[in-house]
Amino acid sequence: MTAADRMSELPSDEDLLAAGSPTPPAPRRGRLGEAGWVRWSWRQLTSMRTALILLFLLALASVPGSVLPQQGIDPAAVSQYYASHPSLAPWLNRLSLFSVFAAPWFVAIYLLLFASLAGCVLPRTFRLAGSARQRPPRAPSNLGRLPASASYVTSQQPDEALQSAAQVLGKKRFRLRTGDGWVSAEKGYLREVGNLLFHIALLALLISIGLGGIFGYKANRLLVVGQGFANTPTALDVFRPGRLVSPNDLQPFSINLLNFNAKYVTSGPQVDQPISYKAALSYQTEPGASARHYVLQVNHPLVVDGVSVYLLGHGYAPAFKVTDGTGKVRWDGAVPFIPVEQSGLTSEGVIKVPDAKPYQLGFAGVFLPTAVDMGGRLQSGFPAPLDPRVSLVAFTGNLGMNSGQAQSVYELNTAGLHRLNITPTPLAPGRSIKLPNGAGTVTFTGYKQWVSLAITYDPGQLPALISGFAALAGLILSFIIRRRRVFVRAEAAQDGSTRVTVGGLTRSDAAGGFETEFAELTKVLRVEHQGQDEPDHGEEAGPPADSPPAADEAQDGGDRHAAALSAREGE
Amino acid sequence: MSRLPVFVRSALGAAFLALVAVTAGCDGGAIGANDPQSSGQSFVGSSYASTFYSVGHRPGAPSVSGTTVTGKQLSLASYRGDTVVLNFWGSWCAPCRSEAPALGTLARQLSADGVRFVGIDIRDEPASALAFMQTFGVGYPSLNDPSDEIALAFRSTVPPAAIPTTLVIDRDGRIAARIVGGATYTQLKSLISRVTQT
Repeated sequence: MTAADRMSELPSDEDLLAAGSPTPPAPRRGRLGEAGWVRWSWRQLTSMRTALILLFLLALASVPGSVLPQQGIDPAAVSQYYASHPSLAPWLNRLSLFSVFAAPWFVAIYLLLFASLAGCVLPRTFRLAGSARQRPPRAPSNLGRLPASASYVTSQQPDEALQSAAQVLGKKRFRLRTGDGWVSAEKGYLREVGNLLFHIALLALLISIGLGGIFGYKANRLLVVGQGFANTPTALDVFRPGRLVSPNDLQPFSINLLNFNAKYVTSGPQVDQPISYKAALSYQTEPGASARHYVLQVNHPLVVDGVSVYLLGHGYAPAFKVTDGTGKVRWDGAVPFIPVEQSGLTSEGVIKVPDAKPYQLGFAGVFLPTAVDMGGRLQSGFPAPLDPRVSLVAFTGNLGMNSGQAQSVYELNTAGLHRLNITPTPLAPGRSIKLPNGAGTVTFTGYKQWVSLAITYDPGQLPALISGFAALAGLILSFIIRRRRVFVRAEAAQDGSTRVTVGGLTRSDAAGGFETEFAELTKVLRVEHQGQDEPDHGEEAGPPADSPPAADEAQDGGDRHAAALSAREGE
Repeated sequence: MSRLPVFVRSALGAAFLALVAVTAGCDGGAIGANDPQSSGQSFVGSSYASTFYSVGHRPGAPSVSGTTVTGKQLSLASYRGDTVVLNFWGSWCAPCRSEAPALGTLARQLSADGVRFVGIDIRDEPASALAFMQTFGVGYPSLNDPSDEIALAFRSTVPPAAIPTTLVIDRDGRIAARIVGGATYTQLKSLISRVTQT
């Protein structure tokens, strides 16, 4: 591993798109100091191979997150897992397998991957920045060896020929460098700019995503018509804050659901299909602010204070009044039921009345927005509430709510309950069932609709979008633009004429087309030098450039060459 | 047309999320999830997550007032000069039900010492809230907070991170201690006596 090897690793744009630095030279064992080890480790970390391994590990590490219940997503499922695997669960918890995405080992992989990518992209960015400002290199001595080359003879003086060559190339927006007897030109720096843009955008994208994950949050809330809530953790059904989000940081808006309206196709092949959903809201940006109105629709989120509130779903909340055995009303209100099918919005839910006396009461219910008799069996024929019915199954016993063990309000654990024998006839609004054994009465008082809202705050979203587009633009630039070099040498020949050699090469001519460009360029240069169309092209005392193309190899004008030399000496 | 299937799909997703959601009833999200069997520090257990703020580091409690579950007007400011125990609860919340006897007992025992208990009833219906208070013999008043205005008022001080959350407010109206999750008798009693002694 020598200096030459290192040189070859310097910015060649062939490998620019392949992320990862070139393999570092193997360290000489035994003579590696502390700094050497650090440098070696850094090189290993930022190598393409390591980045790929980390990426693979990240994918692998996410697997338990989808196989095992996660605390942040479904705490009740975690509790259930504890109950069914009492010996295994504590061990899994010790390994953070119930909160995989916050686990130290997961974060370690993520941070290493970030460091690896940043460590790869940053130095590359600096190199690209340098390369975008680079001057063209000196012309090689033998242009004939280049992939594309041409040579002809002109009657112009060498410096005159070079000057006009530089003019031609300059007009074609080549970057120029001149030397003794040569002109060197390079074009396509925009490719480096594109590359640079791509790399910077990639870094910006990583940072934006990181910022979004750290300072953003996601939440859900189910809201019954007539209800309101404020953006505060206790009011949210699901709250998934970023690492550095504290409850104090939540934007203090509040939302009231005034009305919800769903329209459905009533006939034809698309019957039951939804046409529109409209949720009329009133909201306040902060306590004390004036209330504003907004009609929330699918894909038309309400944006408050940078937070987007999306309409996610809807359903019915049948309302019940439960009177217990002592004659007291122990429940009076709407209970959100969850749709179990979409064409008729048949919904299921539970009512828990833990304060009923003498026994706690629990109900499992099915709500049919439009009850239709299908051969003795009722089912919902349409999603709108045209003929709502509710059928209930009643239980008494211990609901298990006083033990302190958290449970879902949508589930009834019937294990410790006794099922009451009641007539299964579905209830119309306003109808009641008297429970046996003096347990009380339940009345289906009506229904309301609910919507579920997704609340997302992602401060990294816009920067990520912009970075994404910038990265794409950079990538396209770097793909379609070729970096190409053209060299011109002019030498006085023995016979006084001037031999012009043009050589060209391109780096990574994946798209092809340089051959044609080079041929065109050579043609223009030749016309310029040999003056096919304008025989009197030469400046000042320049000799008439009249050599025909066929005279490429001709030997003429030796004295003129000498004159030019002496003229130059005279200056 | 193209918008609708998205909705339908998300309706199912929402239903699932909602299910997940109020799951555990009481946790106001990831912060205050309740799992008594867990020993991990990644989430708060159903109790024992208490914080004590020493004098000088106590945020002032916001002025809170409203209508109680029984329909009376109540203002926290009228308790200035007394130590106030503020309990965020809901009749639907299992840990609230399990901590309720301890709170009721302490409220009776400490009333002579100038310790007042006030509940903030969250996401509840009046009938079930009253039923809860009757079941557990809750003698102290509870403000109704159907739109979370009271919870929101605490946002710049010590926002309730989960239900239940219990705050102890000192005689000067400053928040001196907090318990996230179900409180136990001994835990809350010692916390209150620490506050009254400072």
